[in-house]
Amino acid sequence: MTAHGDCRQCEERLQPYLDRTLTADERAIVQLHLSECGRCARCYRLEEVLWKHVRNCCEEEVNGELASNGLQQRLAALRSEPG
Amino acid sequence: MSEATPDHAREIAGEARDRIRFEEEALALADQVYRVARRLVPSPEEAEDLVQDTYVRAFRNWRSFEAGTNLRAWLLRILTNLNIDRGRRAQRAPSTQPVEEGDYFLYDRLDEAGAGEEHRLVERLSQDSIVEALAAVPHDFRDVVVLVDIGEFSYADAAQILDVPIGTVMSRLHRGRRILKQQLADMAATG
Repeated sequence: MTAHGDCRQCEERLQPYLDRTLTADERAIVQLHLSECGRCARCYRLEEVLWKHVRNCCEEEVNGELASNGLQQRLAALRSEPG
Repeated sequence: MSEATPDHAREIAGEARDRIRFEEEALALADQVYRVARRLVPSPEEAEDLVQDTYVRAFRNWRSFEAGTNLRAWLLRILTNLNIDRGRRAQRAPSTQPVEEGDYFLYDRLDEAGAGEEHRLVERLSQDSIVEALAAVPHDFRDVVVLVDIGEFSYADAAQILDVPIGTVMSRLHRGRRILKQQLADMAATG
């Protein structure tokens, strides 16, 4: 396969690789290519950075709301009467 | 009037204990449930309403929860069903998006914009742009991305919550992530 074809295959496998749904053989092929190709290695690294960043951003945005919206109290008030 | 035999009284007391435990466990998950809800509907107010309705239904139907199974997934299943009942699907997104770019597209664009390094990516993509881009992903795809990537549910749990096969979860997840990245690429190029 050409180097370009290797990169395309590697791009196709980025998500399943990070999700750990590739077979051991497929995984080994990706790893070999990543050790030889700077662009693919960079994209794989950035993908991990991106999704961590997405999670952090969503979390931070909601932290402030949870601190002030009184949701816990309102939900607790929905509980059935004791006894 | 029913006879209050000792057995019957014990049964009632046992049930009350089970119910209290259920309610406490469910309440302990409220923040996590809200975090997911917040990404499924447009505003904090709608997310609060949706979570509140979810707990009303959960507390009413607590007996149908099977102890020892995943309570967070059970609550999210109620929540996503309520969300659908509210007619969200009336504004169903087209099932085919314009052909999106591959998984490297965003990173090539960032590179062109001189933001191809890890710390530059984080600087370049603000919290607002991330939240906005996620909100712009069509529902069917966003639900899965939110459950798996933000809620950190397994494929199997996401499949159960959304009542779709695992294969559908995986294909929507891959597509949803690409759509999100394409939105971010557009923002990063202009921003």
